[in-house]
Amino acid sequence: MSATLSAYEGIVGSAVIRQLRRLGEKLKGTRIVHVNSTREGGGVAEILEWMTPLMTELGLNASWEVIHGSGRFFEVTKSIHNGLQGHSVPITGKDWKVYEDVNARNFERLRPALEEADIVVVHDPQPAPLLKLCERRKGKWIWRAHIDISRPFRPAWKVLRTFVEKYDASIFSMAEFAQPLPHPQYLVPPSIDPLSEKNRDMSPEEIEAVRNGFGLDPSRPLLVQISRFDRFKDPVGVIEAYRMVRKVAKVQLVLAGGGASDDPEGTAILEEVMEAAGSDPDIHVLLLPPDSHRTVNALQRLATIILQKSTREGFGLTVTEGMWKGKPVIGGDVGGIRLQVVPHHTGFLVNTPEGAAHRIRYLLHHQEGIERMGTTAREFVRENFLLTRHIREYLTLMLVTLRDPRANFIQV
Amino acid sequence: MTPFEVKDCALLGRMSGLPPAFNLRELRERIAVCGENVLFHHFCETTLRGTFDNPDYRNDFAVWSKLYLGDRVVAERLGILDPYSFPSLGELRAATLDVLDERLGESTMIPWARPGDEFFFLESTTIVFDAGIRFTQPSRLAAFIRKMTNGSVYYHFLEARRRPPLGVDDFTAWLKEDEEANRPYIQALASVDFYFHTLPHLRHELGRVLTEAKVSK
Repeated sequence: MSATLSAYEGIVGSAVIRQLRRLGEKLKGTRIVHVNSTREGGGVAEILEWMTPLMTELGLNASWEVIHGSGRFFEVTKSIHNGLQGHSVPITGKDWKVYEDVNARNFERLRPALEEADIVVVHDPQPAPLLKLCERRKGKWIWRAHIDISRPFRPAWKVLRTFVEKYDASIFSMAEFAQPLPHPQYLVPPSIDPLSEKNRDMSPEEIEAVRNGFGLDPSRPLLVQISRFDRFKDPVGVIEAYRMVRKVAKVQLVLAGGGASDDPEGTAILEEVMEAAGSDPDIHVLLLPPDSHRTVNALQRLATIILQKSTREGFGLTVTEGMWKGKPVIGGDVGGIRLQVVPHHTGFLVNTPEGAAHRIRYLLHHQEGIERMGTTAREFVRENFLLTRHIREYLTLMLVTLRDPRANFIQV
Repeated sequence: MTPFEVKDCALLGRMSGLPPAFNLRELRERIAVCGENVLFHHFCETTLRGTFDNPDYRNDFAVWSKLYLGDRVVAERLGILDPYSFPSLGELRAATLDVLDERLGESTMIPWARPGDEFFFLESTTIVFDAGIRFTQPSRLAAFIRKMTNGSVYYHFLEARRRPPLGVDDFTAWLKEDEEANRPYIQALASVDFYFHTLPHLRHELGRVLTEAKVSK
């Protein structure tokens, strides 16, 4: 159950909430439909979980629909996803047919809501063909890309582009992710919910219970990477970095993540990680159920340093979460991690396991730096990456889209 | 005094459609032809964007030159350009091009950014709306500013300088309705070197100088 807007006043201030209510008044009754491909697991579902009720509270008529697909469909969309992030993946004509057929079946179910909506926001590639199918649409359609498609595998993008280019606008998390398209491309970084189970304050007893439950030693530094078991998150590279640090410091490592129903590759990657971890008792590889938000919250709070050594990344909400817990982050020098990790201020950006090991050792030798960067990181998130900023930008986007998508200045 | 009507604004960034710049020469070529809205965005609207709150420089061109071209000389020269000190964006553009031409003339090699680090030219749509707050007493200005959003502070104190009367913030323009009586407040606002403040710091600073002016008044 999401919190109400007034619950955020203590975190962001009443002026920010008042601002959202004023913007919401301008969109009262507007029918917004969000569409994505999973109800749980991954950052998109987490965002929609709080965004939909808060938009409703602001007076919009907001709903969230999920497309359903077979295992084969999600294998294809995972290939598309990997292709958009630059992997050379074969996607056959038959695969694209599966992709379109599943969307066509979902469209029949969603048709009334999609046809009547004032604004439809389609998240990521999985449901992108819905626009082509919705010939009697009345509203504006926006494609929201949460992933990094700055250097896509061209054959994958070439086909997907035919579905996306007909949208009225698209949204990217960063300018670097955008591709040339014949409509306005807006930039909206994602955000976290500071009152969600994954981010809200926890009692020391509850945190300790998680520490004890996983057999973590309170007297030794703890490195934590929270993310799906996904090649782009480089969990094996994290283990390499850990082993380099272990030569000089008795650190512990937690690699924890859940699966997502739209990610069939996770099991294979998890096996690779288990093999790399071997029998080291100080490497804790945890496959967590999708509802383990409190556990993730506690692990991030227990961490001495948060790692997110991705080689490709959309935005990296786990970085934001770690920073919100007042921890420095050592992150891959890619994607949205660059927006958040400012070297020597909120953590370090690295390109290799060696770089990660070096920065871990640096921080372990500069305890005051851990404190200082952690404090800066938390305030940075408060100002820039909490859901209140995110909602404000969506409301602004909707007003702009409904009035004049290319205007520079609009008075409402 | 007429009531001061507090406005608020929200910014939405978008791609400008210009190709990205990979080196200093391309940066110069794009700045020469970009729309004024693009120039304004990279010089002035950074304060409203989700970027790190303590960069070395306050405009995007200087930050990029330092971080991704590795050219600290041109970064320093661009970084000191105060967009609010130019009577028009055309003159700001001319000054920027002067800096870049001077550096290109000095350089034996054109500095390049690696792929992925290119400069993306952006612009924004600003939505302005009524915050629903009115006040009439100048003595309460500090208290109201302290409660304003970043958007209100930006709109009334920074963005206002683009609107007639040019170069004047909305608070000062309002206080000038009774210039003699409000002189301490007007002087206090004029004393703020606002360009290097983030919006939260600027709000704090405006509140501070107006409170001190009130005491001394």
